[in-house]
Amino acid sequence: MKKSLSIFLISTAASAFAVHAQAQVVVIANNNVRDTSASKADIRDVFMGASSNLKSGSRVLPILLKGGPAHVEFLVLFIGRSDAGFQSSWKSQVFSGQCSMPRTADSEKAMVEYVETTPGAIGYVLKTTPHDGVKTLTVQ
Amino acid sequence: MSRVLIGAMAVTLATMTAFAQGTGDQNLQIHGFATQALVYSSNNNYLGMDTSSGSTAWTEAAINVNDQVTSKLRAGVQLHYTRLGAFGGDNISVDWAQGDFKLNRWIGLRAGKVKIRWGLYNDTQDYDPGYLWSLLPESIYGIDVRSTNLSQLGAEVYGKVPIGQKLGKLGYSLYYGDYFYASDDGSVANFSEQGLTFVNLPGGKTPGFDLRWETPVRGLKVGGSLMTYDAKGNLTNGTYVQPLAYWPTYYAQYEGNKFFASGQFMKLVQYQTVTLTGTAPSASGSESQAWFAMGGYHLTEKLQAGAYYTRFWEGAGANLSDPATYFHDWVASSRFDINSNFYAKLEGHYIDGNGTGYYGFNNPNGLKPKTGLLVGKVGFTF
Repeated sequence: MKKSLSIFLISTAASAFAVHAQAQVVVIANNNVRDTSASKADIRDVFMGASSNLKSGSRVLPILLKGGPAHVEFLVLFIGRSDAGFQSSWKSQVFSGQCSMPRTADSEKAMVEYVETTPGAIGYVLKTTPHDGVKTLTVQ
Repeated sequence: MSRVLIGAMAVTLATMTAFAQGTGDQNLQIHGFATQALVYSSNNNYLGMDTSSGSTAWTEAAINVNDQVTSKLRAGVQLHYTRLGAFGGDNISVDWAQGDFKLNRWIGLRAGKVKIRWGLYNDTQDYDPGYLWSLLPESIYGIDVRSTNLSQLGAEVYGKVPIGQKLGKLGYSLYYGDYFYASDDGSVANFSEQGLTFVNLPGGKTPGFDLRWETPVRGLKVGGSLMTYDAKGNLTNGTYVQPLAYWPTYYAQYEGNKFFASGQFMKLVQYQTVTLTGTAPSASGSESQAWFAMGGYHLTEKLQAGAYYTRFWEGAGANLSDPATYFHDWVASSRFDINSNFYAKLEGHYIDGNGTGYYGFNNPNGLKPKTGLLVGKVGFTF
């Protein structure tokens, strides 16, 4: 019984580590954004419409992917909601007149291009997607 | 007529969807939703529908157009169609139409027809896709009377102020404007059942505010709001005057990744003076209170389930053994998101009391104290 419990705990810890180790999505920002890092909570606030600024006071404009692995992983790691729940939360604000939906990009390449050329833009891509012209934020 | 209208709305929604998907200019956005419900009840007819024989007379749709004109200025309009049994009907109402100038994160100004932020859900209560529930707690967010206090014609100053890293943020909304009783919802039916028929519907001023504290505990916010309003109107045989009514509320909400819970308490104090031609003014008042507690959980990515309990009661001298003076509702609900655009809901209610949501015109033989209710709903949003 004790052995089974140990195996269960070890495998659970290993799975958790594996999920963390597999994180392949990075948060990118236009080079004029003053911050070089942000907390997970700050990122969540910005992408949920609860805040439009990072810690330095830099005003940021979130851009979303329409779908794909980077979008799915971003929602899991930073938002903690399904795509339907995420969209629903934004639209509740839109339908009460509080804001517009964030801009969306069809592809990670399009997202990088937009973030690179738009002051204050903030987005996310897979680590493997070329993103030399933008700043990568360290998420603490 | 209404079916033609719904058909036209569906075609418009589909066209708008195509347009929204095809547009390259994302500053201009078009969104919408449509829902259709099937409601069945035991014992009494509820919310102006003939629910005891099963009713499909609850349809809603909305179209939202908004344009980010500059980085600080946004303009938009939202049209809403509601048919809820005897209420709503073929009229399409302007839900809100406003200009919104956001100077910075601390302060912004909205002007035009602006949604009223009161309690947790007043400004979002007519956006069905945003909720697990088919019906929000009737004791506070009565769907049959919601049209009157959804928005006001005036201005709102709003913003969010950080109050220190360890203390969170304070959001505020201060507003002042005109409003009118909706011409086609339960308020008019309530007046009518009191024997009051208006030449022009009453209206007045509605100043108020909302303060909400986003606490340092992630996902937890607490707040309070106060809506006040007065009204004057001309009756076919006299005048109607309502001095400033007070409608304070206090609330808390926690939203985690999969779990959410919230609660709200409200008190409504209002008076009215009716002067019929040739008679002395007759003054009366009412004081009612209500609360709810709710919680929901994402069982899977697509399936949510939850429950709530709500109570409403008349105060100050009401005979609380009379079912007409109270309303208790136990609710269990589920929602399945088929994809990001389509969803379905199923909800059961066990209602004790008739204090709100019931009308004499479709319960001509009187009301029984208890009602069972089942609501099925499908919806589409883009």
